Amino acid sequence: MKKNVTALQKGLNTGITLGVVMVFLSLTAFTVVLANIIGDSYRPTPVTYGFVIALFGFFGGLMASSKRGLPNDDWKNVLTSSAAAGLIGGVILAVPLAVLGSIHLNGTDLRNYLVMVSPDVMETYLFGIGLLPAILITVIIFAAGAILGGAFNKGAARAEWRARWMANSQEKIRSAWQAPRVQQVVAGRYSKLFFMVGALLLLFLMPFVWGSYWNYVMGTVGLYILLGLGMNIIVGLSGQLVLGYVAFFAIGAYAMGLLSSPEPLGIQLGFWPALLASILVAALTGILLGLPILNLRGDYLAIVTLGFGEIIRILIKSDSLTWFTGGPKGLRAIAQPAIFGLKFNSDVNFMHLILVGVLVGVFIAYRLQYSRTGRAWLSVQGDQTVSRATGVNTYQYKILALALGAAFAGIGGAIFASRNQFTGPEDHVLMVSINVLCLVIVGGMGSLPGVILGSFVLKGIPELLRDLTDYRLLVFGVLLVVMMIVRPEGLWPTRRPKLEKQHLSKYDPDNDEASSEEVSA
Amino acid sequence: MTKLTLTNHPPVVIEAQSVTKRFGGLVAVSSVDLSIREKTIYAIIGPNGAGKTTFFNCISGFYTPEEGEVLFYGKSIKGKTTDRIAHLGISRTYQNIRLFSQMTAIENILVGSHCRYTNHWLDAILHTRRYRREEAESLAKAHDLLKFIGLEGLGDNLASNLPYGAQRRLEIARALASNPKLLLLDEPTAGMNPQETDEMIEFIRSLRDNLGITILLIEHDMRMVMGISEYISVLDYGMKIAEGTPTEIQSNQKVIEAYLGPGAAALQEKFSRGKDE
Repeated sequence: MKKNVTALQKGLNTGITLGVVMVFLSLTAFTVVLANIIGDSYRPTPVTYGFVIALFGFFGGLMASSKRGLPNDDWKNVLTSSAAAGLIGGVILAVPLAVLGSIHLNGTDLRNYLVMVSPDVMETYLFGIGLLPAILITVIIFAAGAILGGAFNKGAARAEWRARWMANSQEKIRSAWQAPRVQQVVAGRYSKLFFMVGALLLLFLMPFVWGSYWNYVMGTVGLYILLGLGMNIIVGLSGQLVLGYVAFFAIGAYAMGLLSSPEPLGIQLGFWPALLASILVAALTGILLGLPILNLRGDYLAIVTLGFGEIIRILIKSDSLTWFTGGPKGLRAIAQPAIFGLKFNSDVNFMHLILVGVLVGVFIAYRLQYSRTGRAWLSVQGDQTVSRATGVNTYQYKILALALGAAFAGIGGAIFASRNQFTGPEDHVLMVSINVLCLVIVGGMGSLPGVILGSFVLKGIPELLRDLTDYRLLVFGVLLVVMMIVRPEGLWPTRRPKLEKQHLSKYDPDNDEASSEEVSA
Repeated sequence: MTKLTLTNHPPVVIEAQSVTKRFGGLVAVSSVDLSIREKTIYAIIGPNGAGKTTFFNCISGFYTPEEGEVLFYGKSIKGKTTDRIAHLGISRTYQNIRLFSQMTAIENILVGSHCRYTNHWLDAILHTRRYRREEAESLAKAHDLLKFIGLEGLGDNLASNLPYGAQRRLEIARALASNPKLLLLDEPTAGMNPQETDEMIEFIRSLRDNLGITILLIEHDMRMVMGISEYISVLDYGMKIAEGTPTEIQSNQKVIEAYLGPGAAALQEKFSRGKDE
């Protein structure tokens, strides 16, 4: 526990931290981009920008007025702390504003020194008025936001009436849920089936309804779910930190491309045989990669596999292999799926294909995870030496994890190449591996719902927030740091099955007695 | 096997023939001979750094001895990997508890029985008949073991959330799950209070009496060693300096010197003579 400081000190600490963060975000023009998103326009207005400043101030007030570290939780302390945070944060933010503002007003283009700070951005920071009023307004808005945040925290979030109201509404929901008629429906014999059919029907119909843009975004999310499922087997279950995962994705995509494109090999297999081949080739690569790295652990494993991913990408790109891989210009005219001679290549069709892939993938991953095989993987992750001494052939299981994980990446790569009708070296950069690793970690290592949730958070949301493209790495970094502090086990942490309960529910108590006697006899 | 049972003695489970293990210039275990007959409780004792755990590691396959031979039911297991050795029927526990902490108690036991089953990943995906049979069988057995160690109802807790004594017993249950013929226990009562130690002694006896398992253990607690073991070997500086029944060991001059320093034996002799007068 932190030692208690005075309300003023706590406010100053929070304010300084937040102020420094705000300066950084302002120098990268992140605040302006946020203002654009809020205002839904391409040009920030003083109003939306002011709102962003107030929002950050509000956040600072919330932090400064949290119970932790405050001597006590009365109005005086809360307001002192949040006001101090707001003022000091505003002042820190005002210092660069004063410096940069005066340079800007002299007519110098700041972009020579700070790439993101265009004259437009500077005008926003100055609210289109003079330097001194702008500084005053910034500090006042920030402080006002902070005080409001503190007041909100004390007056609403922590207040007694809110707790009572929450408990009350929870009780209402619970009693409504437990009403006999509701329970009858939920526990009914066909309701589970009904819900499942309903969900499947919804999934089937959605691609028709939401248009090609959404099909593209959701298709990408789906492909990343497939990749995440494979990565989850390798990292989340068997505990091998493989950073070159993109290599398997690349090999899947290139197997599909090389076997079905007219150039450069001219084999021109159909989609389905090429898909099967992609899976097999990727799995085989997994096995081949697994052999030399069997005895590597931790950091060493990460570095070696990172190198593997880069080697594959550079080989694909290499000029001397152009006759085989198509070189830097990539592969074109990759086969698209057809069913009984009917073309199956619209965006809706691909969405359905990816949906089927994801459903089958989740099913397989689920069954593997809760089997003897999955437990062996988990034991390898927990303690490899002990796992081996307990009788698990750890080499075999590590290679199996790599092969199956790579197979998932192979499917993902093959569908990706076919959907885009093209694949080139730039599709297979290190960032793909890092994205997949991030989504597994953010979702929760070893957790299947976590993989799905992680894919939506890390691939779906950035696709939708196109304005944030330049800041994707920043957002990633912040997200990961926050995750590690707030929820180190992931958004949807893995839960182990209740096997004992499951076992006991299968056998009636009489049977159970008999078996216990056998042992003690 | 049949030849051996013709004699009165039960067969030899494990035999070490002048086992030597070096680390660079240091000789950690120096030509140690040992032979343990079926259903014995056998203890290895010795001062800190005497090479007990190293010797243990040579038997369980963690280390390969440079010289000598390790025979399990007359067959050499020297140089075999630890998973093969576990498969043959030797399992062990560790000085500092090493459970799979992110798995539940019952899952730990299931991993222990891993090498007794054969279903693989395709069985798991397709839920074949073999998969369902083995899964139900191993689960039932794991649950019985859970009862045996007195953790019934706690099987779905994460191993790391169990109390210390329970973790010790769970580690033994994991070792038992592979139906071992020989169980190696590395300081099974380390960190336990006298009452827990007594319970552990009873528990280890019941393993031998009820399940017919041969037990080889390392222990520091003299009260425990003398109370439980039928045969003791003493290691010092990697060499075996004495072996025999507990009473023989207690009065062995070399052992007393190894533990208390040279001169201690003479001192003890003087004291005991003083008592006689």
